[in-house]
Amino acid sequence: MFLAPSPGPLIEPLAGRRWQPEEIERQVRRRAASYRSRGLRRGDRVLLGFGNRLEFFADLLAIWQFGGCAVPLDARLTRFEIETLARTARPKAYIALGDVDSGLAATLRDLGAEVIDSAEAGRPGQTENGGASTLALEDDALILFTSGTTGNPKGVVHTHRTLRARWVALRQSLGLEKYRRTLCLLPTHFGHGLICNSLFPWLFGQELFILPPFTPEAVMHLGAILDEHRITFLSSVPSVWRLAVKLARPPRAGTLERVFVGSAPLSSHLWRQIQQWSGTRDVCNAYGITETGSWVAGTTVPDLEPEDGLIGVPWGAVVAVTVEGLADRPPGVGELCATGQSGFIWLNTPALMKGYLDRDDLTAQCVRAGWFLTGDLGFIDPRGYLYLRGRIRDEINKGGTKVYPADVEAVVEQFSGVADFCCFAVEDPHYGQNVGLALVMPDGNDDSIRKLYEWLRVHLAEHQMPVRWHLLQTLPRTSRGKVNRDRIAEVCRTSPVLDLRAILSRTS
Amino acid sequence: MSREQHQARLLRFLETIRRPDKRVEDIDPNENLVQAGLIDSLALLEIVTFLESEFAIDFAATGVDPGRLTTIPSILDLIEQHTT
Repeated sequence: MFLAPSPGPLIEPLAGRRWQPEEIERQVRRRAASYRSRGLRRGDRVLLGFGNRLEFFADLLAIWQFGGCAVPLDARLTRFEIETLARTARPKAYIALGDVDSGLAATLRDLGAEVIDSAEAGRPGQTENGGASTLALEDDALILFTSGTTGNPKGVVHTHRTLRARWVALRQSLGLEKYRRTLCLLPTHFGHGLICNSLFPWLFGQELFILPPFTPEAVMHLGAILDEHRITFLSSVPSVWRLAVKLARPPRAGTLERVFVGSAPLSSHLWRQIQQWSGTRDVCNAYGITETGSWVAGTTVPDLEPEDGLIGVPWGAVVAVTVEGLADRPPGVGELCATGQSGFIWLNTPALMKGYLDRDDLTAQCVRAGWFLTGDLGFIDPRGYLYLRGRIRDEINKGGTKVYPADVEAVVEQFSGVADFCCFAVEDPHYGQNVGLALVMPDGNDDSIRKLYEWLRVHLAEHQMPVRWHLLQTLPRTSRGKVNRDRIAEVCRTSPVLDLRAILSRTS
Repeated sequence: MSREQHQARLLRFLETIRRPDKRVEDIDPNENLVQAGLIDSLALLEIVTFLESEFAIDFAATGVDPGRLTTIPSILDLIEQHTT
């Protein structure tokens, strides 16, 4: 079982599509044969330009069968961002489902990547002998880009060994019984949705139901979907649950046995609402980081009452909290916090990533002696339960989707006329956080702001677009001249917000 | 209140949540608001909040059919159903 996963059935409930394991095996064989015939070999990287479809999972296994490394992409990325990632990943192929922008296809070919239609590769008629699996445990299996889509991509590299370590740890910690009919409504290009919500149960033979990611229409029908397909488990993010508990009728069939919530802070209030809506007390606040193969701790402890920040116990990992957050002072070298004392959270797990793709410098900033410095703050209580108390990372958590200020700033920086800038988090009643932008533009007027907006629209994905813009005379900086995001966010809270709608209407 | 008055209030609200570079008058009245790019998909929640506060529609009691929130006429029909 450890070396040879056995996938369960795959279902797209909204489209009424279902592949039984035999069909999946056939699809994987066909695709692996097709990709081999196109010259793809062990060690080649393959971009997957789509997700949340039956074909995505067949392609993933086919890539692994010929020994390749899959690089799933966020389907919402702009052409500019895909090209940026392709330059870093240097793929041999780009697999799409449906049409590919002709300009993007030309660039990918220039970069040495063949553009392949997934549907074509899965069609019967060609040889169905996928060949013997060339999978080796130390081979790269998966690269997930967590940031840098506009400039300096940060790709988390997992090997087959680290992924299997995560899945085995989850099976030992969580069992499989409650996951026998799992629903995934998260995107399959990031760790939470792919490695844990989807692959963990599915590769151990459980049924996996796949919805399009973050679709309000699907969330509003969530209760009905859970009932109709007798779903026993799903995971999601707080913003989706805020939508569901308000708009969807609760499930009536009583099939739901466990719910996970992750990727963003879960308040005790929403936690209780989810318990009430779902009809199960087994609602778990799951803590996961892509670098550790996602889910690494959670509230799978009987009779725990929801509390703000409560995570619970580790799954296949050791958690330690240190007084200092310095990469060269991991637990064992650096001073550990006393019970109940807040500090910097470190994780030690066999599921830890191999490193960041071609960025040993970044890897060295957070990995030392097998320990991973998470960037999260928290403490361990007398019962041994982990609590989160904050983050020291710059990321903006927009409804569970991470937006990195540096990615937005890398695009703003290239626009002439902007003297200074800072991207920061703003509070949002629906997403939790959203994207704010402070600008210093000496000649800022309607026309230059409109052109900057158009520039950002071309280069940034929808979810990365700043929604609140502020024009300032200067940006507050630290004594060392560094941007002080917290201070800028504070200044912008009391400064006027640009009326982009009026500006764009006046000039368009 | 007439349908025209409801529509005027709805359009004023949509003006506050639309994408900055899209205008309400640029889309076909029967066009899906999300598919036309006027609003993002999560803005449906903002529409629900608007309908609850402005027209006292209790979605917790009635449930929501997302299909009825997709176009301006369908939202107006929903308002009329709950206010007459």
